[in-house]
Amino acid sequence: MPLEIPDINWSLLMPQLVIVSTLLIVLVFDMFDAISKKTLGWMTIVGAGIALWSSIDLLQAGTDQTQFNEMFRIDSYSLFFNIIFLVSTILVALVSISYLGSGDKKQGPYYLLILLATLGMMLMAAGNELIIVFLGLELMSLSLYVLASYFRESPASSEAGMKYLLLGAFASAFFLYGIALVYGAAGTTNIPEIISKLSVGDQLSLLSESPLFLAGIFLLIVGFGFKVAIVPFHQWAPDVYEGAPTTIAAFISAGPKAAGFAAFLTIFVDALPKLPTQATGVIVLLAMLTMTVGNVIAIAQTNIKRMLAYSSIAHAGYVMIGLAAANPDGKSSAMLYLFIYCVMNIGAFGVVIMARTADGENLMISDYAGLGFRKPLLAMFMTLMLLSLAGFPPTAGFVGKLYVFKSAVEARHYWLVIFGAINTAISAFYYLRVVVTMYMREPEEELEFKPYPPTLVIGLVLAAIGILLIGILPSLLLDQAQSAVQSALL
Amino acid sequence: MLLSIVIFLPLLGVIAIALLRGLGANAVKWIALGIGLLTFVISIRLYTEFDTANVGFQTNSEVYQKLDWIPGIGASYHIGIDGISLWLVLLTTFLTPICIIAAWNSVEKGLSGFMMSLLALETGMLGVFCALDLFLFFVFWESMLIPMYFLIGIWGGERRIYATIKFVLYTMAGSALMLVGILALYFQNNNSFDITTLQGQFEPSNLLFLAFFIAFAIKVPLFPFHTWLPDAHVEAPTVGSVILAGVLLKMGTYGIVRFCLPLFPEAAAHYTPLIVTLAVIGIIYGALVAMVQPDLKKLVAYSSVSHLGFVVLGLFSQNGTAIQGSVLQMVNHGLSTGALFLLVGMIYERRHSRMIVDFGGLAKKMPIFATIFLIVTLSSIGLPGLNGFVGEFMILLGSYVGGAFSKWYVVLATTGVILAAVYMLWMFQRVMFGTPDDINASLPDLKPREIAVLLPILLFIFWIGVGPNTFLEPMAASVKEIEAKVRVIPETPAVGQVNQMDTDDAVVDVKTATLKINEEEALSK
Repeated sequence: MPLEIPDINWSLLMPQLVIVSTLLIVLVFDMFDAISKKTLGWMTIVGAGIALWSSIDLLQAGTDQTQFNEMFRIDSYSLFFNIIFLVSTILVALVSISYLGSGDKKQGPYYLLILLATLGMMLMAAGNELIIVFLGLELMSLSLYVLASYFRESPASSEAGMKYLLLGAFASAFFLYGIALVYGAAGTTNIPEIISKLSVGDQLSLLSESPLFLAGIFLLIVGFGFKVAIVPFHQWAPDVYEGAPTTIAAFISAGPKAAGFAAFLTIFVDALPKLPTQATGVIVLLAMLTMTVGNVIAIAQTNIKRMLAYSSIAHAGYVMIGLAAANPDGKSSAMLYLFIYCVMNIGAFGVVIMARTADGENLMISDYAGLGFRKPLLAMFMTLMLLSLAGFPPTAGFVGKLYVFKSAVEARHYWLVIFGAINTAISAFYYLRVVVTMYMREPEEELEFKPYPPTLVIGLVLAAIGILLIGILPSLLLDQAQSAVQSALL
Repeated sequence: MLLSIVIFLPLLGVIAIALLRGLGANAVKWIALGIGLLTFVISIRLYTEFDTANVGFQTNSEVYQKLDWIPGIGASYHIGIDGISLWLVLLTTFLTPICIIAAWNSVEKGLSGFMMSLLALETGMLGVFCALDLFLFFVFWESMLIPMYFLIGIWGGERRIYATIKFVLYTMAGSALMLVGILALYFQNNNSFDITTLQGQFEPSNLLFLAFFIAFAIKVPLFPFHTWLPDAHVEAPTVGSVILAGVLLKMGTYGIVRFCLPLFPEAAAHYTPLIVTLAVIGIIYGALVAMVQPDLKKLVAYSSVSHLGFVVLGLFSQNGTAIQGSVLQMVNHGLSTGALFLLVGMIYERRHSRMIVDFGGLAKKMPIFATIFLIVTLSSIGLPGLNGFVGEFMILLGSYVGGAFSKWYVVLATTGVILAAVYMLWMFQRVMFGTPDDINASLPDLKPREIAVLLPILLFIFWIGVGPNTFLEPMAASVKEIEAKVRVIPETPAVGQVNQMDTDDAVVDVKTATLKINEEEALSK
């Protein structure tokens, strides 16, 4: 039987191809000792930059096609997520260059793994097929397991990697099992086909009530829940964030979460209206739990990385609001929120890196006392990131939250929005506490700070400009997100 | 453009200070003062160009502006003023330069940050009063929290951190609910945040009303949401207290006039008995608590709770005179209480104490201080001829004659006026009269700078007291429009209609109350 190879339009795969080539170049150049390891970081940035540029180019051209027998989707939705991933990668690479000491030989694999994870994320967002989503998920997760334990001399880092691996493997198994059950019930792994099989005309089909299918959907929720760290599948996140190198904590909290949601949204926003109402109920409940548990536990944290970990759990809850709304606005609001969240969260971790002293990192919130007047630049960046995370106008965080809430009000999930709004007030407490510490408390001991590395400052300035720009002129991004969802509807 | 310039000029000042802070403390002060004064001078043109015949928002293109901002969600940059917001805008631009002068020598650390916060705060407050787009309104409402948070938290007293966090969390909890309300309105307003097109019935009106009202009641603050206020006032620096009492609290009452009353008249009438009860409790409770305060600043803070109870009482009376009195009283309270906080701040800088027991006999050694203090005290009590009298009298008169609630509320509220005289005059007596001890005898009288801070306020205290029409006329048309919107009771209701409403006790109460008043009016004619 002759094997039929479908025509491939390589130009549509530019972003992925660029990442693969950068990856190979980094791999090869890493072998030469003569090449400064910082160069590898810059190569990563340039590669991701080109991929970003070509993604934007494809997005503006209004590309909407599938490749590889409809397994791979290049439309404005996946391209928008590509932008999120690549922006995160560039920001993380910028803060990493100075974070890893210069003469360090291990830098090659570091950037290699970041690029691999990015590729995995791009596959997840572009996956039109559960198998592709799974492939991307594994590619991303395996790279992240290694990255989390990258400082192998540090027990905390090794522990973080081990924990992440064990729980992540569990989650992958759940996910795969879910795919198997869905396939068994629906007879296909193609996502649009599954969704179209849920209804016949205006009526819901038998499939939407088949126990086998619903069990599969439930397992998929569990699998995604682990990956994006929603309550009650969140326990790994604080330990991993605390133990992993700070740059990697920033990376894990941003891109992979967005990638998990990219796939989550593809499947569920369209499927939820066609599933029994209990499914929406489950998502609403998870969203409420995630926000509340994340925010309340964050209040009790004294370590800033753990605080940011719980805060990032809470933020997953806000994204879930958009998912629960299950309307076009919900989808685009979740996309917008993820973009904004990635920028501000990497920014916040970047400031944590900036606050390093010669003795190492200062991770206790009390270490930030008095920085407001002694380190005005650092304190200003931190304040901006935290205000944005808390959702104060005129920062991007406010726009993101407002848009998510709006979509849920449209879907008449009033209680969910009230929950979210009250959670915003709760979260303000612990974000502002850091600001209080910086500006309103006197330091206990004088700390000798390292001079700020220029790459780190560049990364933070970019994040800060992004946050303010999106906060004041949200249309720049909002229109993209809206049109990305609209084009998928047509 | 004029209004936009007024709103954003202070923000420009923030940027200017940020860039030029290297020039030293004096340059920063003068830049801040220059910007503050310039903003005030420009804002006077809002008054001179004001068209009193215009019922709604001013249509003058200098003032009214509408630009696309976020078309994707139907939010626009849409600003304008009417007769009500005009006075609050002017109050804000008037008090800010006064605060800058008042803070001239009292800020020790981070002067540029202090001035930047103050100017950023001004932009936020002006934006709240001028926004005609709910989204824009909310942006200003929330963003104004941040500079106030820093003002109290960095330059405040000992328990400043507790006070500032309490202030922010209270306000945020309120605005969280308001945000839900705003979004619900948005969908019933054809996916637009435009305030000027908000009309008709909004469902569920009672809940929406509460979502907005609680946010504003926290800000006012209405009893029992007032507990953040004494903490914030006591810990805030003098200037912070002035702005807090002078303008920030007015954002709550302004919100009630702008949103709660005209958008949900039926719900407002439904909750009027409850709200007015709380207002009266606030009037009396605030006065009684103020009476026993040992701390001057806390006394003034609790007197605010009492005074703002009057404003809320007038606003819910459905009577034009009382509503107008309430709007005027917002300005009056801003002036009198602002001046009181300034005076308390001045005496604190000399004596480093705010405890009433530490003072005594100041009148002998500080005659100018005592005179000004007396005038302001009397204005706060409501002495005829000074500003406080006009506002309080209009509120009490209007709500007694035409109020939508029982006259007993007004009678009880009036006791608040008497109690105010008790706590203010008693305080004045303890601080000013008697023989001064050694420390008090050595305190210097007011310096020219301090007199310059207070004189403009005194000017307006007398002006409003003697010639209130200057201030009442421009707001008359706008208040009438609000009154027309809130009057849910038909002028001559049929008896049968009232019976149909038996299911809803509260509404019946309101209706019968008004019926009686209508009868009495008919009789007296």
